[in-house]
Parts: sequence; structure tokens; C-alpha cells
Amino acid sequence: MKALSANRLIDGDVVFWSNGSGVDQFSKAELFYDSAAQDAALEQAKSQFTTVVEPYLFDVAKQGGIFVPVSYRERLRALGPTNEPTHGKQAQGGHEIAALAKAVGGGHTSGRIDLLRKN
Amino acid sequence: MYLYDEIDRDMLADRASEFRGQVARRLSGEITEDQFKPLRLMNGLYLQLHAYMLRVSVPYGSLSPVQLRALAAVSRKYDKGYGHFTTRTNIQFHWIKLKDTPDILDELATVGLHAIQTSGNCIRNITADPYAGATADEVDDPRVWSEVLRQWSTFHPEFSFLPRKFKFAVTASPKDRTAAKAHDIGLVLRRNRDGVLGFEVMVGGGMGRTPHIASTIREHLPADHLLSYVEAVLRVYNRHGRRDNMYKARIKILVASLGIDEFRRQVDAVWALIEQGEIDLPPSELARIRAAFAPLNFESLPAISPTFEAERANNPALARFARNNLRPHKQPGYAIVEVSLKAPGATPGDATAEQMELIADLGERYSLGDVRVTHAQNLVLPHVKLDDLPAVHAALAAAKLATPNIDLVTDIIACPGLDYCALANARAISVAQDIGEKFTSPDKAELIGELKIKISGCINACGHHHVGHIGILGVDKKGEEFYQLTLGGSGAEDASLGEMLGPALAYDRVAGAVETLVDTYLSVRVGDERFLDTFRRVGVAPFKEAVYADAH
Ligand code: SF4
Repeated sequence: MKALSANRLIDGDVVFWSNGSGVDQFSKAELFYDSAAQDAALEQAKSQFTTVVEPYLFDVAKQGGIFVPVSYRERLRALGPTNEPTHGKQAQGGHEIAALAKAVGGGHTSGRIDLLRKN
Repeated sequence: MYLYDEIDRDMLADRASEFRGQVARRLSGEITEDQFKPLRLMNGLYLQLHAYMLRVSVPYGSLSPVQLRALAAVSRKYDKGYGHFTTRTNIQFHWIKLKDTPDILDELATVGLHAIQTSGNCIRNITADPYAGATADEVDDPRVWSEVLRQWSTFHPEFSFLPRKFKFAVTASPKDRTAAKAHDIGLVLRRNRDGVLGFEVMVGGGMGRTPHIASTIREHLPADHLLSYVEAVLRVYNRHGRRDNMYKARIKILVASLGIDEFRRQVDAVWALIEQGEIDLPPSELARIRAAFAPLNFESLPAISPTFEAERANNPALARFARNNLRPHKQPGYAIVEVSLKAPGATPGDATAEQMELIADLGERYSLGDVRVTHAQNLVLPHVKLDDLPAVHAALAAAKLATPNIDLVTDIIACPGLDYCALANARAISVAQDIGEKFTSPDKAELIGELKIKISGCINACGHHHVGHIGILGVDKKGEEFYQLTLGGSGAEDASLGEMLGPALAYDRVAGAVETLVDTYLSVRVGDERFLDTFRRVGVAPFKEAVYADAH
């Protein structure tokens, strides 16, 4: 299972893909079950290059009844920096943010791997 | 302080306006991200984990109060009200919007600030001794030569697309506060026996994946040949540096593979062919630049200030601050004041807009209009009268800027790490904060003495972990945060690379391990040995045993 993330071109804000465009919170992200849907989402995000930049897919899995990013990096990205709890997505608060913050474990993410490959 | 002239100012304005056009074309879709990315990077704009990051150059770490206020204004208007000072003495803003960047560059240009040489495979911003012009032990003012190098290197057409980025450090003091030996070229100004001013030129230092301590390529290069000689070094590097593999592209790899003697031979051969007279700075031009750093109008004061002495005797906080954050000034009656950006719980190197403004005010009022940035992510008021220290200390303390911990265990260097940086394996800031919590007693910190802890979130080593007395490197174990500890590194004149302690530790074990390392040091140190001295005497074994004891 995967979700797709990117940064909004105009302001750099992290977005998650849902129904063909970027939304602000991971909790609203669309989940893509099979590789055909994942590839299609990635192609669609890439084609919207005046709106979003550097789109990539990352793994999500169920934990405590909800879907969360498997990789710690992606959870941190969906929340905001840990040294400034009022900065980034976490500022919004609510149970979905709290659940994300509670998730544990780690895994690799194409967000970083693609970046290293490109550099 | 060197002030930009009409030509410099026009150039900055032109560049900001050029970038405005490039941003507009990117937003309209006229150019793609692949086309735009190198353009935005040339203007210091990176895409990080949560947002764009704008890195603004602070040439050789020197800021006027007007410039510092402009940085504060940018942080307040376009970011979240703070800035992050880096180990390259630049400042980064972590929450910048692409659409605002042209306006920001315009605003910075009005005070002579810009993002030139903060990215790309060019000669980057030059690091200089933050105590330049203030310390008694320098033979010349390194800012003069840093400015010479800045003017020579900015937009140098031959060196704009080097195999990889290229970093200079310049110091004129036997005590190295620039980590010169960890730079691509480290320059140490000295006078030879005949009194001729010259540079010890060191080359091929660097951190990252393959750390190297620089080797001396020339013991004493007469100062007036600086530009032609470094041009020869850069030319050899530009021709033979490896462009096929970014991990082998820095000059350190070339120097290591050729050996310093062969590299020197090649440089000398190129230098002999260079029209040195065309490249070396004419004396009139050097004099023009030197005039910008002319000795300041210091007052003639007694070496001891009764006001300060009386206050210090009555105010333990001031006394502690004086012990740890003051450095001797060349002018009697003055001191160099280090302003720590490492308060307990703070993010190393972060300063809020209000803090920047306060330091700008203090710089204006008490430090002859001069503020410096150190590679240890602190700020410096270089010229404070002893008589004014009580007032300066009180003002700093009220803004949480008087933490008396310079070079002590809590004066930790940390890169932005996984909290901000897209390349990171692991966090660095929170590790620094956790270590800080283990050492809340300032008495204990003073008892421990000089201890430089440096943390990087990945092997790129922006946190200089290789040269930390204790170095901490974030590594990736199946996507989880782990940390590799090294001991015994130094970025100072006694430079060395740290030695591996043992297997990487999980996040929640790191701060405890540092505490164990410190306790081990205290139990075996002799006399007033620093942590580094003890390590060099006893080696890694007792430390390793202590940290991994419970793992057996
Ligand atoms: S060391 Fe790595 S994680 Fe830290 S700032 Fe540099 S690139 Fe980012």
C-alpha cells in the first residue's frame, strides 16, 4: 500500500495526493493499492509540474487501526520538525495528528533514495 | 568592514531581478523543474523536507548591525521568526516560499547581503577567524585576505563549475578557530624569520564520506602571490578532479590519490606558467581592501576595569559568563564576547528575530558596529569594553543569550538533520537537546572543561562530526535512527579525525552513552587534561568498555 507526497511548487508546503491534487494533511491522503494505481498517481502528479514538485510514492501500513507511513522520515514529514512542535502539519493538532505521532518503527522511503540517486 | 560599492550594489539588484524572471517562468510552466533547479540553487534556494530553505551568505562570518536586523526582518516577514546559523557561518531560513524569494533577495540586496556562493560546485563562502581584528595573537587581519578571495572567486568563470564545491578557511592566529585543516584549502597567515607575511597553504582537507586532514603544500607562500597560487591549485583540481563520481570529486580525493608531493609538483608546474602579475592583486587594490579593515578607534583604557571587577565579584552569573564566554582582546580594556546560541533546550545555531535584533543593538552600541558568526554556530561581539560587560551580560541574559558554555559539553554543533534536511538519516538537533539535559549543572560542565561534541544527521558531515572530540553521526538501520560515535577528533590546530567507538547505538541510547563517556574521562583524567588529551593518552578501550559494558 502506498501514498504519494510532493511539495507545492509555489510555497514548498508538503502535500499528499488525493483525487488528482495535493491536500495538506496525511490523514486526507488517498491510498493506492496496486502498482497500476500507484504509477498512475505518480504520472499524474508529475504532469502537474506547475503545481507540485518532486512527487514520490511511499509505503504505508496499518498500525493501531489506522494507516501510517512506514518510514520515520515520512511520518516526520507528515508532522513537522520535532524541535518545533508548533511548526509544520502537527500545528493543526487533533486525533489524527496524535495517532501519527504515536506510530513507531521504520523503513526506507523512496523520498530519500530517489534524492540520493539524483544527486 | 568592507562596504559594497555602486558596482556591487547594481550587480546584486540585477541578480535579484534576474531571479524574479526565472521564478515567474517556472511558475508559468515556461521552464521545467529540471531547468529551474540549478537556477534556484545558484540563488541559495534549496527544497528541504518541509519547505524551501534559503541559505544567505555571511561572507567570512562578518555582519553589520544593519545586516543582522535585515536578516531578522526577513525571518519575521517571510519565515517563522527565526534563522539558523550554520557551521559554514551562513544563515538558513527553513520555511521560505518560492513566490517570496525574489522579494527577499531584493530586501537583502539593499544591505549588501545575498545568497551567492552558498550552493553549487563553485568556491563557497569563505570561513575566517571570528576573532579577526580583535584577537592579540593574529599576525594580520584574515578578513582582508578573505575579502580578496571573495572578490576573486565570485562568479570566477573558470571556477564556476568545479568537479565539486570548494571551501576555503583563512586564519592568522596559531589558535585555529576556523577548522582550517578540514577545508579544501586552509590558509594560515604567518611571518617568516625575515618578517615577510605569507601563508601556510594546506590543501585536501574535508569531511563527508571520506574525511581527510589537509596536508601542507607550501610552508610559506609570500602573501602577495596568494591569488596566482590558489588559481594554480584550483586549475590542477579543475582539470584532474573526478567528475565521474560525486563521492570522489572533492580535491581531498585527488590530493590523496596523487600524494601531496606529486600534487605540489603539478601545482608548481601550472603556477610557473601562469601570468602571476596578471592575477596577483596590485598593491593599490590590496591597500583599498585593507583600508576597509583599518584598525578601529579604540579608546585608551586601563587593562583592568574596576566597574567590571566589582560587578563580577558580586554577581556569580556574570563571573561564570566571564570565565567561559570572554576571550582576551588585543586592546587593553576590551574583551571579545561570545554569544552562545546553545541555551538549554534550544536548537543549536537558532536565533529568533528578537534575539538577532538585540544582538544587532548591542553590536551597534557596545561593539563598534561589528558582529561575527562562528563555525560553532554561535555569535560574537568582538569589541566590547570591559566597563560595558555588566550591561551587555544583563541584556544578553534577558534574551536567553548568556548561556556560559562556550567550548563546554553543552556547546554542541548540530546540523539540521532529519528535522529539516531531505538528505538526513537521523535527527541531530534532538540528540543535542537530549545530551544537554544530561548536563544541566553549569558547575559540572566547567569541571569537565573543553569538550566539543559535533553531530551530523548523515555522512555529508555538515555537523563536522569527524572532528568532534565526541562525534555523533546519524546512520540508517532499516530506516530507523541509529548513531555512530567517534572519539578524539579535532578541528583545531591539533586537527585529527575521530576514531570509531563501536557499533552504532539506537537513538535513545546516545545521550546516556555520552554521559558514560564523560564519566569515564573524569575517572581517568590526569591533572587538567581536556577530554581530547585524555583520549589521546588512554585510547578508545576504556571508553568502549564503559559504553558497551551492558551490551555484553
Ligand atoms: S550532515 Fe546530512 S543531514 Fe546534516 S545538514 Fe548535512 S546533508 Fe543534511
